[in-house]
Amino acid sequence: MLFKVKSEVAGVVWKIIASVGDDLDTGAAIIILESMKMEIPVPTPRAGTLKILHVAETDMILEGQEIATFLSLDEPT
Amino acid sequence: MSWHDEIAEIKRRRALAKQQGGADSVERHHQKGRLTIRERIDSLLDKDSFDEIGQSSGVPEFNDKGQLSDLQPANFVLGIGAVNTRKVIVGGEDFTLKGGSPNPAGLRKSVYAEQLALQYKIPLIRLHEGGGGSVGGTGQDKSHRPIGEPVFAVSRFLPLAQTLGVVPVATAALGPVAGLPASRLVASHFSVMTENAAVLIAGPQVVKRALGYDLTKEELGGPQVHLKSGVIDNLAVDEHDAMQQIRRFLSYLPDNAWQRPKKIDCHDPVDRCDDALAHIVPKNRRQPFQMREIIEHVVDQTSEGSSFFEMRRKFGPSLITGLARLNGHSVGVIGNDCLFYAGAMTAAAAQKLRRFVDFCNSFHLPVLSFVDEPGFMIGPDSEASGTIRLGTEAISAVLQSRVPWASVHVLKAFGVAAQAHFGPQGYVLSWPSAASGALPIEGGVAVAFAREIAAAKDPAARQAELENMLAASQSPFPRAEGFSVHDIIDPRETRPKLAAWLDLSLAAQTDPPVPFTFTMRP
Repeated sequence: MLFKVKSEVAGVVWKIIASVGDDLDTGAAIIILESMKMEIPVPTPRAGTLKILHVAETDMILEGQEIATFLSLDEPT
Repeated sequence: MSWHDEIAEIKRRRALAKQQGGADSVERHHQKGRLTIRERIDSLLDKDSFDEIGQSSGVPEFNDKGQLSDLQPANFVLGIGAVNTRKVIVGGEDFTLKGGSPNPAGLRKSVYAEQLALQYKIPLIRLHEGGGGSVGGTGQDKSHRPIGEPVFAVSRFLPLAQTLGVVPVATAALGPVAGLPASRLVASHFSVMTENAAVLIAGPQVVKRALGYDLTKEELGGPQVHLKSGVIDNLAVDEHDAMQQIRRFLSYLPDNAWQRPKKIDCHDPVDRCDDALAHIVPKNRRQPFQMREIIEHVVDQTSEGSSFFEMRRKFGPSLITGLARLNGHSVGVIGNDCLFYAGAMTAAAAQKLRRFVDFCNSFHLPVLSFVDEPGFMIGPDSEASGTIRLGTEAISAVLQSRVPWASVHVLKAFGVAAQAHFGPQGYVLSWPSAASGALPIEGGVAVAFAREIAAAKDPAARQAELENMLAASQSPFPRAEGFSVHDIIDPRETRPKLAAWLDLSLAAQTDPPVPFTFTMRP
């Protein structure tokens, strides 16, 4: 099943950590935002395979904006 | 002669009332994965402790001979029971009867719940599921024209407000909760909702008709909405978890505002000095850390895990609020979470802080404050949401506190908002990582030295140079030398230091506790 990860804070994409095709564990960072002069990771709340990354470095992100789409690992495809 | 017939009649009526909405209605309810109100009460209370009030109340039906043929029970179940052996008032709508929308006796019993709590001065727990009034009349006999309440009646909303000042009130939303029950739900110190619950002022059909939005109950008032709106404090994975959270919440509190919270035995060494505290805060100011880890290392650990019970995590998430124990004493805990806007005080965080501090004052909970405050949140959204007024209100609430207050200055304490983390006559411990001033260095230098930086040969180098120079002025050591904090400590000493302070502070409270009052605020 596909699921989307949203950013809980506004900021600018500082660094992309994960690549499309990566399997990420729960809590692993997808990107790092620069928000209020700090480096804030945006983690995936569930384990999954990164399918689409909706943002690029230096993009400005709003609170609640979709960051990535995952295919969950715990269910058969 | 005996009263056997009448006694049998009482028994029959009680049995009729226990049928709730009837077997079919109960079955439909179970199929939705929900418990009935009687099952909920049993799951909340200590075994067999429920003493029901008004169990024969309801709407009677009579046969041709004028004999009672059926009794539709009041669709609000009310009574007194025990939670961890402490007496509480408990009540809730019976959704299996008219979807919880009050029938006459149901309305009377629901209104009486608050009055009981006020009369006996014990905690109140309401388990909500149901709708409010109907256009056909609420709590009235439908065959009559509605005549309203007598002019001299006391509004049922007054006791709802009064309870909050004198007894702990915990509520749960365990299905759709709309209208009056939704209002009762939020008139509480702690509220919890299950995944499949929804809290609504008005449902989808009413919203569609009035505003044109086509939204489901869940989209309008599901957990995704209300954990962030602040209407609900915590999410429960299921109904059992909701009851466990309510039981846990109550465990930190006294029965009423004329008592102090009770100390429990503490098996966690008071002189425990966890090494982790020496390296949780990164030296690089751009890197975030987990304030919750610091809190966990300081407060009591029990055989069931940490004593820290967080409330309202999703609302105003730059501020952490929760209950915990230190050396067995109940305490309120606040802390900044730098993963959300560096821990800045947003409009929501300010409301969260104000409400939490008033709650701690109402039930005499000392406050432990873990400080990493960069200031009020800045930017257009923050200005538009009135953060400066709400933030100043929060500061007023903190400084009007009458509970013992200790602050651990962990990292940042900048600007006006820093004042919201230090209570009156508070105990202040500074960590070596602490930094304070009017503005954080990074933003402050760029503004204050703009011309000098622009004129430099290498502006970036000059800015870095100025930042390093001024960072030294924000060091905690000069403040410790000037006795502007009680002490600068090894972070590992935090637990024993706070525990010793708390014992002294509580022993010094010689006046009997009374309900908390305060005056107008910004």
